[in-house]
Amino acid sequence: MSSYVAYFGLFRTSARTVLAYRMSFWLGVLGGILPMVSLFAIWGALLSGERSLGGLDWAQMRAYLLVTFGTGSLLAAYGDFRMANRILDGRVALDLVKPVDYQRSRFAEALGGVGMELLSVGLVTCGVVIITGPVLVPHGVQALLFLAAMASVIPLKFGIMYLTCTLCFYTQNYVGLFWARETISALLSGALVPIALLPGWLQAVSGVLPFASVVSTPALIYVGAVSGFHAVQLILVQVLWTVALWFAARLAWRFAIRRLTVHGG
Amino acid sequence: MSLVEVTGLTKVFRRPVKDPGFRGALRHLVSPRYRDVTAVERVDLRIEPGEAVAYVGPNGAGKSTTVKLLTGIIVPTSGEVRVAGLSPHRDRIANARQVGVLFGQRSQLWWDLPVRESFTLLRDMYGVPDSLYRARMKRFDEVLDLGSILPVVARKLSLGQRMRADLAAALLHGPRIAYLDEPTIGLDIAVRDRVREFLRQLRDEGTTIMLTTHDLGDIEDVCERLVIIDRGRVIYDGSLAAVKDDFARERRIHLQLASPVPLASLSDRLPDAVVVAGDEPGEFTVTVDRFRQTAGAVISAVLPLAEVVELRIDEPAIEDVIRKVYAGELRLA
Repeated sequence: MSSYVAYFGLFRTSARTVLAYRMSFWLGVLGGILPMVSLFAIWGALLSGERSLGGLDWAQMRAYLLVTFGTGSLLAAYGDFRMANRILDGRVALDLVKPVDYQRSRFAEALGGVGMELLSVGLVTCGVVIITGPVLVPHGVQALLFLAAMASVIPLKFGIMYLTCTLCFYTQNYVGLFWARETISALLSGALVPIALLPGWLQAVSGVLPFASVVSTPALIYVGAVSGFHAVQLILVQVLWTVALWFAARLAWRFAIRRLTVHGG
Repeated sequence: MSLVEVTGLTKVFRRPVKDPGFRGALRHLVSPRYRDVTAVERVDLRIEPGEAVAYVGPNGAGKSTTVKLLTGIIVPTSGEVRVAGLSPHRDRIANARQVGVLFGQRSQLWWDLPVRESFTLLRDMYGVPDSLYRARMKRFDEVLDLGSILPVVARKLSLGQRMRADLAAALLHGPRIAYLDEPTIGLDIAVRDRVREFLRQLRDEGTTIMLTTHDLGDIEDVCERLVIIDRGRVIYDGSLAAVKDDFARERRIHLQLASPVPLASLSDRLPDAVVVAGDEPGEFTVTVDRFRQTAGAVISAVLPLAEVVELRIDEPAIEDVIRKVYAGELRLA
């Protein structure tokens, strides 16, 4: 009970921190709408002569791109950079003298940002719909499956980010790790192009890594390209990855923390 | 059993060795070389409940590393640490409940939020009951004048305000042991006095304090025991008064006499003292061992020669001892 209060406190404080920067929130919304509109234009041109690309028609593709934007926005405010910088400059020392689990604390903070991120995704979606017209919306069971997949994205994405931050102990730098992860993830998650459009060997690589569960799974369920039992299967894969990454990160942290060096002060 | 028991504590860091210039950087990229640096070496330390210990040493001596080992932030290379029976790095969370830590050079406040939010978060983290929380906040307001700071966003605090808030934040949960690493760094005299007063109160209430500082005024005001560390090793551990009695024996008496007196005749009358003439005629500084010659004896020796117009006495300060230790002029124990 008392630990619940502690983590809820972190959640609440993190949520307030996000609210502290109004300007950056609105810039984020604006910065979300413009690339979406241009992405629509590019894919619209690609699909102009075709009925479908990678199994998706134009209506599905637009929805796919929007969900991709949504999963990309989740945990963006969490600031893996914040955690990484605290490790690198030694402020992590202050986190380690608190009577809370480090990983759960960071997860609580990550969740604290989700509300605002969802709001931002909603506003961007509205903006895009106003500019380019209505998008496809799933109904009934399909909608529920989508919500389940989207909810799983949060702890899963957190696991990937947290593990990357843990590598900081070894690299002493985060920018390189961040870009490596972003690039690999963009390609293998289906965020850049649907995985069906990738060459076979890259599809195979994507199949054994967790990135597709973050983007492709909720996006394909949303547009109805995957449904029923297959959708449930993909959600189970998400859950398995989430659990595996959570414990892998715990183990990794135990080793990495031994390398912590905090100089001065 | 002591509250803090440290046995043979050693911490070795691996530090990359890089040759100068671009070539050196390239070489390090291809075949990195490392050197082991021992920050803390076979430290033994016992702290009893309610003790106030000053932990001092020159820059880079291993003070902060010791505190980080005691709080479980870093893992010892060898040796054993027990704090109230717990091993800080293995039982990090349980240990965190009983200790309060202040790193004077880092803030634990949430940078983007009003200070009050940091305190409510800490209350939740440590599970401080509401009534106790209010009582402690009231007390912090009285001693540290915290009330005026609470609505301010942490990033906008002055250094003195930040330090007061951080000190309160470290002590909000009423820890048994407070590790305070340079709690008065960069503070003006008024705030510093206030912080020291607060630390004295804390000590009198039975909180065990380990104070790391370069400010020797902090030590004399708050601590009875002194531990000096140099190059990772404890070179002195004993009572502050004993250090002063053993090593800070020189009392300096500055005299301004009504008429000029030859230095030699003054020296003749004070055979056990060192007499130095000042810039002005009739100005002298007499240095005596305070255990061998009283100030009164010096004055009565001088009076037959001339009237004393002005008199100022510099008491020996712990600062002098530590300065000598740092400079390698004095070997304790």
